[in-house]
Amino acid sequence: MSLTHEIKFTLNGSPVSLTIPLTMSVLTMLRDLLNLTGTKYGCGEGECGACTILIDGVSVNACLKFAVDCDGRTLTTVEGLVADSRNDPLRTAFAEKGGVQCGFCTPGMVMQARHILDNYPRANESQIKRGIEGNLCRCTGYKKIIETIASVGELDNKG
Amino acid sequence: MAAIIEKESLIGKAIPKMDAPGKVSGHTRYIHDLNLPGQLIGRILRTDRVHARIISIDTKEAEALPGVHAVITAKDVPNKPLGVTKDNPPLKGDKVRCERDEIAAVAAETEALAEQALSLIKVEYEELPALFDPRQALLENAPVIQESKPDNISMEFDYSHGDVEQGEAESDVVIEDLFKLHYVTHCCMGASGVIADFDSTSGNLTLYSNTQVPFLHKREFASVLNMDPNRIRIIQPPIGGGFGSKLDIYPFEPIAVFLAQKARRPVKLTFSREEEFLASPTRQPAYLRLRSGVTKEGVLTFRTLDSLLDNGAYTSWGATIPFVMMQTFSSLYRVPHCLYHTTTVYTNNPYAGSFRGYGNLQATFCVEAHMDKLAEAVGIDPLRFRLKNAQQAGETSGQGMHFKSCGFKECLTTAAARSDYAIKREQNLKAQGDDNAVKKGIGMASMLHVGGGAKIYPSDGCGTILKMDDFGHVTLMTGASEIGQGSETVLSQLVCEELGLPLSAVTVVNNDTDITPWDVGVHASRTTFIAGNSAIGAARLAREKILNAAAGTTAMPADQLSLRGGCIVIDESGEAVITLDKLLRSLHFQERAELVTTSFYYEPPSVHQDKAFKGDVSASYAWATQVVEIEVDTLTGVVTLNRCTAAHDVGRVLNKLGIEGQVEGGIVMGQGYALTEDLLIDEGHCQNPNFRDYKLITAPEIPEIDLSFIETMDGEGPQGAKGIGEAPAICMAAAIANALYNATGVRIYEAPFSPEKVYRALKGCSQPLEW
Amino acid sequence: MTNFKSYLAPATLDEAVDQLNQGNVTVLAGGSDLMLRVGAGNYDPSHTLMNILKINELRNISFEDNEVQIGTLTTITEIREDPELSIKMPLLGQAADQFASMQIRNVGTIGGNICNASPAGDMLVPLLLLDAAVELARQSDGGVASRRVALKDFFVGPGKTQCQSNELLTRVSIPFSKQGFRARFYKFGTRPALDISTVSIGIGGIFNNGYLQAPRVAFGAVAPVPFMALKTMKAIEQSPLDSERIKEIAEIARDEIKPIDDVRATAWYRKQLVHNLTIKVLSDVTDA
Repeated sequence: MSLTHEIKFTLNGSPVSLTIPLTMSVLTMLRDLLNLTGTKYGCGEGECGACTILIDGVSVNACLKFAVDCDGRTLTTVEGLVADSRNDPLRTAFAEKGGVQCGFCTPGMVMQARHILDNYPRANESQIKRGIEGNLCRCTGYKKIIETIASVGELDNKG
Repeated sequence: MAAIIEKESLIGKAIPKMDAPGKVSGHTRYIHDLNLPGQLIGRILRTDRVHARIISIDTKEAEALPGVHAVITAKDVPNKPLGVTKDNPPLKGDKVRCERDEIAAVAAETEALAEQALSLIKVEYEELPALFDPRQALLENAPVIQESKPDNISMEFDYSHGDVEQGEAESDVVIEDLFKLHYVTHCCMGASGVIADFDSTSGNLTLYSNTQVPFLHKREFASVLNMDPNRIRIIQPPIGGGFGSKLDIYPFEPIAVFLAQKARRPVKLTFSREEEFLASPTRQPAYLRLRSGVTKEGVLTFRTLDSLLDNGAYTSWGATIPFVMMQTFSSLYRVPHCLYHTTTVYTNNPYAGSFRGYGNLQATFCVEAHMDKLAEAVGIDPLRFRLKNAQQAGETSGQGMHFKSCGFKECLTTAAARSDYAIKREQNLKAQGDDNAVKKGIGMASMLHVGGGAKIYPSDGCGTILKMDDFGHVTLMTGASEIGQGSETVLSQLVCEELGLPLSAVTVVNNDTDITPWDVGVHASRTTFIAGNSAIGAARLAREKILNAAAGTTAMPADQLSLRGGCIVIDESGEAVITLDKLLRSLHFQERAELVTTSFYYEPPSVHQDKAFKGDVSASYAWATQVVEIEVDTLTGVVTLNRCTAAHDVGRVLNKLGIEGQVEGGIVMGQGYALTEDLLIDEGHCQNPNFRDYKLITAPEIPEIDLSFIETMDGEGPQGAKGIGEAPAICMAAAIANALYNATGVRIYEAPFSPEKVYRALKGCSQPLEW
Repeated sequence: MTNFKSYLAPATLDEAVDQLNQGNVTVLAGGSDLMLRVGAGNYDPSHTLMNILKINELRNISFEDNEVQIGTLTTITEIREDPELSIKMPLLGQAADQFASMQIRNVGTIGGNICNASPAGDMLVPLLLLDAAVELARQSDGGVASRRVALKDFFVGPGKTQCQSNELLTRVSIPFSKQGFRARFYKFGTRPALDISTVSIGIGGIFNNGYLQAPRVAFGAVAPVPFMALKTMKAIEQSPLDSERIKEIAEIARDEIKPIDDVRATAWYRKQLVHNLTIKVLSDVTDA
C-alpha cells in the first residue's frame, strides 16, 4: 500500500540505489534500511542535532529531510567522515580534549563541527557556539566541545 | 646494562576517556542501534485520562491485525507492582491514575504495525474526580489516588536534633519563607529502551537494559517476573545518559519482557522523544517552608523545615529525597537545633525519580537563600557569615555525619577571591538605583553531598575481578557501570597506578551481570570512590602476587621490587629486572601454575542511618562553593548567566579532563534547572513534551567557567579522591537566586527564574506562594 | 501506514505549475516544516508530493533597479551570508542569523517560511517592515502567469495565506528603502536563535527633524498572523518623538496587539514585552 520511489545517490563515497516510501526521513533510511546507526535519533523534530549529516557538503538534520530528495545528491554520515583520514585531527581532538561523555550527541556534533570548519574556517569561539546551537548535549556543558572545534580550526589554519 | 625506569603516574593527568574514540566514530552501539534476529517491536498504549476507572479494554481488532504477535493487558500478566513502595503495577487493570499509565502493549513486526495495533485498542473509562494540587491532598474529601493509602500520604519523614524552642529563644533574628520547586526531567539524549530475549531451550532471560543498577534490577526483575534470579542476565549496552533516571525499574521494562514471553520472540521497546518526556521520571517538585534563626553575632541558632512533596500517582525514588534534603538542612552549616518534617502525598500528576543531586538542589536553594537573608539581617557580609557557621574537618554534625576531611572553608574563600565577590557585590548594590535597565548581580551558594558512597542498602560495596594474561594485559571486571561519566577510565588509571602499566594495557568489562561482580549501581556519586577502592584492592592483590613471584625468580626480596613501565624493577634504583609479560609467562610453567587472577570486594566504612535518620552514611563528604555573575534585563526579565566560579573539594583530582567535564556539565545542568527548564504540568498533562518548549541550555548560553579543585586528600578515598558526580549541579539555582537579589533587590522563591517570572517579580505582580 | 499518492520532482517552473493546476499537490521544498506535519499524521495521502528543489531558477538573489528579488528556494543561510544583501538590506541578514539553528537554516527556504505562515515566523516581521511582496505563479494558457501580493495582505490566519492551491510562491520582492530609512528588528527569546519567538518587533522609518517619517511597525507572535501595526504607525507619524511621546506610542502598541496565553508566555507578559521593547526599538531607530 505504501507508495515508494526509487532513488540513487552517493553515500560516503559509494553509489546507492534504493526504493523508499515517500514520507520516509533520511534518518529512518540511514538507520533502518542502510544499517548506518552512527547517526542518532534524539528528537525527530530538528531540535537536538543528534542526527546531523552532510548533504552536498552542508549540515542538515536527517530527521527533517525527505529521503526522496536525496536522489542525485551526495550524503556523508559519521561513518563516512571517520573513514576519511582528512578527519583524523577532528576525530582525535574530540576524544583527547574531552568533547565526549555519554557520546550520544557526539556523531551529530562531529558532523556539525565538520560543517563549521569547512564553511567558516576562521570561526571564533562565539561563532562556534552559534554553530552548534542546534546540537544539544546533556553531559558536557559544551565547553570542551567548543574547545575541541576551536583547536581543530587552529590546526587547519596553521596548515 | 639494565634499563632504568622512572616512576610515572597517571593520577591527576588529563586522560581521554577510553570509550571516546568509538563514540566519536559512530561505532558505539547504544540500545537503539541493536537488533536481534527475529526481533519484534514493542509499543505501549498509554491512557489519555489522569484519573478514571477502566470499564473495559477491547484488544480483539489489534490481535487480529496480521503481523501483530502479542497483545497484553493487566489480566494477561502477573503484574506485581513496582517501585519504592510497590504501588505501580506494570499494566493498569482497575484504574488509571496519571497520564503515563500503561493500559496495554503490543509486539509487532514493524513499528508502523505496532502503532496501528495500538490505534485499534478500545478502552472504556469512567472518569473519577482528580487531584492535581498536593496542597489539597490532605483535605477530608480529597479524591483517593491509591486505595491502600486512603489518607493520600505516601511517605513521611521526621528528623530532629537539639531543641528548636531553645534555639528560637536564643535567636535575635528569626525568618521564615516558603519556597516552591518545579518539575524538570533528565532529557538523556539517548531515550529509554530495553530488549528482552528468552533463550528458547533454557528459558533464560537476557535483558539488554539501560539500567544504572544492574544487580538490583536483576533482583527486582526476578520478583516481578516470578523467575529464579539465576535465570536472568542483564547486559548493559553503552548508555546515552543516566543522571539518575535509570535507578528504578519502570513499567516499560517488565512490559517488554511480558511481550517477549507471549510472542516467544525477542522484543525491543524504545521511547520516542515525546514518550520520554511523558513517561520517564522527573525531579521531585516541592513546597518547602523554612524557618531559621541567628544571633546578632551571626551564629546560627536553629532551623525548622516543613515540606510537602507531590508524590504523583506512584512512588519512585523522588519521594525519598528527604534522606538527602535533611543532610543539607542539618549539616551543611553548624545548626545546633534542627527540626525537619516532610509529607509526600499522592496526586494525579507524573511521579518523580532520582535525579543528579537527589533533593539537594531543592534543599540548597532554600538554605542558601536564608544564609544571605540572615547575613543581611544581622549586617554581616554573606561570605563571612558562611565562614563563621561552616563545618570543618573533624566535626560530627547533629545528624551524625563525621567530616574526616573538609575543604568547605577553602571552597568559600577560593570561589570568593577568584570572582572578586566582595567588591562586585558592593558595586552591584550601589548600581541598583541607577537608571540602567540591565542590572548586574553576583551570588554565592555552597553545598554538602555524600562523596564516599551512601549506605542506603544493606551493602554499599562493589566487587572487582582482575585478570592478567601472559602478555601483561589486564582485564578489569567491575560491577560499576559506565554511563558516560568516565568510570572506566578512572578505574583503569587506578589499576595502572598499582601495576605500573600504561592505560592501553587495560580492558574494562563492566556490563554483564553474568560476568561482573556485584555492585549497588551508579548513584550517590559513589563510583569513583567505591569502585575505585575496589579496583585498587584487586590490583594490590595482583601486585603482591607478581612481586612475590618475581622475588622467587630474581632472588630479590619482594618488598624491594616494584612495577613500572611494564617491568619488575628494583624499587630504589628503578633498574629493570625482568619484563612483566615474561614473568607472567613463566608463571604458567611452574609446578603450582597460578595465573594472576584476583578478586576483591570493597565495603566502605560507613554506617546505616538509624530510625531517627542519624548516622555517618558516607565514608567521605564533598563540599563546594559556586559564585555566579548574572545580568538581569529589567525590561524583559531575561537573566543572562555570564560567569560561574566554582571551587570543589574533590579530595584529589584523578583525571583532570574527566573531572572538569563532570563539573562543567553539572554547572550547565544546574543553570538549566535555575533558568530555562520547566516541565509544565497542567491538570496532570504535560504541556511541553519536546525540546522546542522544554528548553535545555544550548552552547551560546553557557557561562564562562572558572574551576578550582581543593585537594583535601581524603584518607578513605582512592588515591585521596571523593565522589563529585552530583555536586556541580547543586548550587546553581541557589547562587543565581542570590545574584538576582544582589542585582535587583528582589528575591524570588520559586524556580525556574524564567523571563516572565522574573519580570513579574520585578513589577511586584508575582503570584503569591501559598501553602 | 499511509503515504503520499505519488511523487515528482519537476525541473522547471512550467512543469510545476502544470502539476499544481491538476490539483491535490503538496509542495516540498526544504522539508523541515512538512516533515513535522507528516510525522504528526497531518497531511493528505491523496496528494502528490511535488519536490520543487530541482527548479534552479527559483534559487537566486537578484538586484534589480528598484528592488531585490529573492527566489523562493533561497535558503536562510544564503540570505544570512549574501555579501551584497548584507550591505543593502542588513536587517534580513540579522533576522536570518536569529533563525532556528544552522542545520535548519541550511535547508529552510524563504518561501517555505512565508508559506508556513506561522504567527512567529522568523523572517516575516523584517519582510513586512521592508514592505516585501510575493509573486504567485500559476498556469495560464499553457504558460506561466503570475500575480504580486503585498506581504501585509498575504497572511490570512495561522498557516493560511492568499496562495491558492494552483499557485506557487516563486519569489519575494523587496523594494530598496528610501535614502535615510533606518530599521531595527528584535526577536525576543532566551537563546540567540533556536527559540520560537515570544514576541518579535520591527520598526523603521526616516528620522528627520524629530519626526519618524513613513514609519513602519510590524509585530510577530502577538496575533494570529504577523501584521503591520497601523495604529502605532499612525501615532508615530503624528508628532515629533521625544522620550515622553515614545512612551505613549508604546502604550498604543501594547493596546493594538491581540496576544494569547500559551505555553511560552501569558498575554499579559506579551503586552508588557511589546510595550517595553517598542520603547527600546523605537528609541534605537530615532537615536542617531
